[in-house]
Amino acid sequence: MRSADGSRPWTFYFFAGLFTLFVLFLYGPMTVIYILSFQGPQGGMTFPMNGFSFEWFDSLFEQKRVGDIAGSFVRSIELAVVVAVITVVLSVLAGLAFRRRFRGSAFAFYLAIASLIMPGLFVGLGIALTFQMIGWETSWYSSGLGAQLTWTLPFGLLIMFAVLGRFDRSYEEAATDLGATSWQRVREVTLPILLPGIIGVALFGFTLSYDELARTALAAGAKNTLPLEIVAMTTTITSPALYAVGAVTTAVSFVVIITALGSIALVQRRRAQKIGGVE
Amino acid sequence: MAEAKGGGEVAIVGVTKRFGPTVAVESLDLVVPHGSYCCLLGPSGCGKTTILRMIAGHETPTSGDIRIGGTSVLGLPQVQRGTAMMFQSYALFPHRSVLDNVAFALKMRGAGTAERHAKARELLAKVQLDKFADRLPAQLSGGQQQRVALARALITNPRVLLLDEPLSALDEYLRLRMRGELRRVQKELGITFIHVTHTQLEAIAVADTVVVMAQGHIEQAASARDIYVAPRNAYVARFIGGQNVLGGAVESVLDGTAAVTADNGSRFAFQVGDGRPPRGARLYGSIRRDRIAIEKLLPGAKPPSGLNTVVGEVHTIENQGSYVKVTLDLAGETEEFVANVADDKFFANALEIGDRVVARWSASDVKLLDAGPLAHDPAAAGAAMAGGR
Repeated sequence: MRSADGSRPWTFYFFAGLFTLFVLFLYGPMTVIYILSFQGPQGGMTFPMNGFSFEWFDSLFEQKRVGDIAGSFVRSIELAVVVAVITVVLSVLAGLAFRRRFRGSAFAFYLAIASLIMPGLFVGLGIALTFQMIGWETSWYSSGLGAQLTWTLPFGLLIMFAVLGRFDRSYEEAATDLGATSWQRVREVTLPILLPGIIGVALFGFTLSYDELARTALAAGAKNTLPLEIVAMTTTITSPALYAVGAVTTAVSFVVIITALGSIALVQRRRAQKIGGVE
Repeated sequence: MAEAKGGGEVAIVGVTKRFGPTVAVESLDLVVPHGSYCCLLGPSGCGKTTILRMIAGHETPTSGDIRIGGTSVLGLPQVQRGTAMMFQSYALFPHRSVLDNVAFALKMRGAGTAERHAKARELLAKVQLDKFADRLPAQLSGGQQQRVALARALITNPRVLLLDEPLSALDEYLRLRMRGELRRVQKELGITFIHVTHTQLEAIAVADTVVVMAQGHIEQAASARDIYVAPRNAYVARFIGGQNVLGGAVESVLDGTAAVTADNGSRFAFQVGDGRPPRGARLYGSIRRDRIAIEKLLPGAKPPSGLNTVVGEVHTIENQGSYVKVTLDLAGETEEFVANVADDKFFANALEIGDRVVARWSASDVKLLDAGPLAHDPAAAGAAMAGGR
């Protein structure tokens, strides 16, 4: 708001300055990392740039030099996809079930949400120890998957609560009224209306899994996921290859987010495109 | 569904509906004849929507029976009841075109695309929306959405159409137009319409039968005309409006006329016919607002003290076009007292707020009311009406 003579109050400059600092703090270091990942072959981990090359990106795919980046990347993507699918299926079903207050529903809800506040490292440790006691081998696709689900399922459930909170039950009643069976009702009305929210749950499941560290650290078994591999690298590798890893993983996250947002937009545009298709 | 057009009589037999400890509807009986237009009218929470939802099968009565066309429909799925419902929010599927919304019921029954689209287009033409068939509901105005909802409900040829506050989402202008439209469609199809509303004038404008409800009970079920001119009890008279409710204790009865004294000392004559109310009994009567003559009381003049006369101070004056609504504050009386004065009469000798006036009426215009459970509580209907606006 401007005062009568058109000048802004001092608070405007104060908060604008604060916001600028925040943005610098958030994006400045990352930008430096992306620039340095194109460091020349003879360059070091700090400025100045000593030429420009894709050397460090190439090195990511040679197992000997920097560890198993390619393998851990594939594992992380596979794991994230599986986590996203399981999270979507279970959160949607649980969200729909929780609309009815059943006996013990509040207890079940808190039980599911409680794993959000438990220290992640110990959840992972507990899962690893349990596997050991039973005599099963821990691995990224069994104990690691379970550890990540303790993190993504409560999130997915909370998102579904928000999505369903805005869902008008009379859509379903109208479907029933018009002769839909319960299965037809879910397929033709409930799920399509909830679709954008469901894509959101999938997106969350994927990204939460893709960079999950605390829970996975002790439960992933012999083979690392990408975040674990990167943590290992930071202690052993002292070359711009580390920055190249950062640049590539960021790019993957962006691709995933843009794909998800794009598919939401596509769904909505398809619906809107029916306008005037036929006169 | 190729349902026979007949058999749309809806009978509600001793129905009670409880939600936990709350009683929404209590042992209620109502018969809506086939092919008639019935309005369930009452303040929010009176149970009218619950009744509608029980007829549609979205709720199950705790006890009692619901019959359509003479057979009980309890436990039957919606399709076999031959009912269709129009929702307050219309509940048009946002992800389907107008055409697919209307054709939805046929799709659920396994009709082919060509067949169901042809039938849906026919119905859309009936509500003058054929040009908008390929739009999404969000791209239509409120009035158009309402017509889509109507077409969608009618595609199954229901015996009974249930309308839950169908006009409440529309602006004033559309509301008046659409209520006429609903009435026309009902006459044309000859099926039973049951319409839930909290707006008194809407009910009176469209319905054959108006059912006035309060707290899970029916207070009066009668023709729109009777509800208006002959309310059964004080609650109905107050809720419908257009009436002043007079109440007091019987002083004497002579030749079928009881002299009644109100708490503030005003005295009224009620025609009681052959009735012989004992001295001291409380009687209630209603007098139409447009049957009251008012006249300014000159300063210093002695107020008249006859029967059917009250003295009060002008509280509000609202010009309604063809008449002027004058609200009076009566000394020692909480109940609203209103006179509707024809515009030419009013402006011949205009009043000001704060003027002292005398209001008079003729004893033969007073209708005797049943006391009813809520007679002593003008606030019950007053609050209900305020909520209904």
